[in-house]
Amino acid sequence: MIQLFHVFKTYPPNSQALNDISLEIDKGEFVFLTGPSGAGKTTLLKLLFREEEPTNGQILLNGQNINRLNRRGVARLRRQIGLVFQEFKLLPRLTALENVALAAEVVGTSKNGSHTKAYHLLRELGLKEKYTAKPLTLSGGEQQRVAIARAVVNDPMLLLADEPTGNLDAEIADETMRMFLKIRERGTTIIIASHNLELIKRYGTRIISLRHGFVADDLQKVVRHEGMH
Amino acid sequence: MKLAPLGFVVRRVRNNLWELPWTHVLTAATMATTLFVFGAFMLLQENLQNLLKAWGEQIQVNAYLDKSLDAADVQRLLARVRTFPEVEGVRHISQEQAWRDFQAALGAQSGVLEGLPQDVLPASFEIKIRENFRDGPMIEDFVNRLKREKGIALVEYPQEWVDRLSLVVLAVQWVKWIFGGALFLATFFIVESTVKLALLARRDEIEIMQLVGASEAMIQAPFVVEGMIQGIAGATLSILGLWFTFQWLRNEIPTFGLLGPFSQFHFLNARHIALMLAIGWLLGAAGSLFSLRRFIKTW
Repeated sequence: MIQLFHVFKTYPPNSQALNDISLEIDKGEFVFLTGPSGAGKTTLLKLLFREEEPTNGQILLNGQNINRLNRRGVARLRRQIGLVFQEFKLLPRLTALENVALAAEVVGTSKNGSHTKAYHLLRELGLKEKYTAKPLTLSGGEQQRVAIARAVVNDPMLLLADEPTGNLDAEIADETMRMFLKIRERGTTIIIASHNLELIKRYGTRIISLRHGFVADDLQKVVRHEGMH
Repeated sequence: MKLAPLGFVVRRVRNNLWELPWTHVLTAATMATTLFVFGAFMLLQENLQNLLKAWGEQIQVNAYLDKSLDAADVQRLLARVRTFPEVEGVRHISQEQAWRDFQAALGAQSGVLEGLPQDVLPASFEIKIRENFRDGPMIEDFVNRLKREKGIALVEYPQEWVDRLSLVVLAVQWVKWIFGGALFLATFFIVESTVKLALLARRDEIEIMQLVGASEAMIQAPFVVEGMIQGIAGATLSILGLWFTFQWLRNEIPTFGLLGPFSQFHFLNARHIALMLAIGWLLGAAGSLFSLRRFIKTW
């Protein structure tokens, strides 16, 4: 589903963020990108949702070269990708429900349809009582759940999460991971950039380690999760 | 650019106006202030133009007739003069009329005319010039052609006055375009900077819209519509401000020095008010669009 061929990314004047990355990620995989700060995790994610373009190399998503997309194409691509960030990136003026529904509305779902979808998702994620709350009145864990609901409201083929548990305590981080696993069950490919070794050990089925922009390791393992089948 | 869904845009605009009232009020107020200056210039320029037109209407050429002409000759000459393209109207002043006018002009001193023959003053034509020909060289050319007409003894016109007026009209035209253009540009840049500041506070919103895959049209349309509303609101405020200032000046300053009584000045007409609203609308939309272009990252 995702193919990277000799991808390089250099920031001016001469900072090498990614160095000859070649990878293949299949549909439905649950991948952890790990490595120390500055290893290139966030840069790699940014390349995947076309926030940035590689200096060299090609990235194919479902066989499509995403570097060749025009602006309209990038918008279309992002409608198929769910994004979750450490700092949540929710609109403070909108309610939890409106934040989630916004993502559905931009793909052309009607107002009622978007709100219904958003309501069901928030209920599923345990935020039934909070759907009219504004993000700043919610706890960090609750805000992250709203962000996750927004990321999956359009049933994306790919979910990218950049340090999604960075601002959460251990218990909530664990809960967030279980949500990602649940989302994966729908067939969504999930890539999480994280340096939380505890979580990686417990949940990672494929762990790609980056160091100084290189792929240092690419491990695949079979993991049994509590509560999972 | 594909059009954004109307319902989506209307909802976003309504919510934004409701939730960020002060941002919109401040932007509209800035637009109102700059458009007030622009409108004041337009008001001044329009009234000055009207004043010059009124002065121009007072320009007349006097053609004195040969005393030897009989009534039929005078009628023929009158018909001939009316065919000149420069002529808006001709009034025939007979010798008797000229005598009566002169007596009336002298008023209490008219006794000094006693003993003089009543045909001492020549008959004449008072010729009004069309607006397009009230220019020094054009009048001069007309006067020269008139002088060559048989039966016309002498032609007089206020040459110095005409030349000065032509110069003032020309100056006003130039000032109108140069100052008006500069003022329009200044208004545009002030509006654009204000909109940019307002957008700066909402850059997260733009970024998030981009991240969830909103099309350019969906991101820009609400901002542009909000800009249009701010522009029209600003223009309306500036027109109201101008109207109140105009009324206040009319009450406080009854005469305007050499320019005459204030009562002869008029407020902006419907065409100018529509123009102000259109400029506000356009500035709001263009200001938003230009500022957005800088905010929306090039993918």
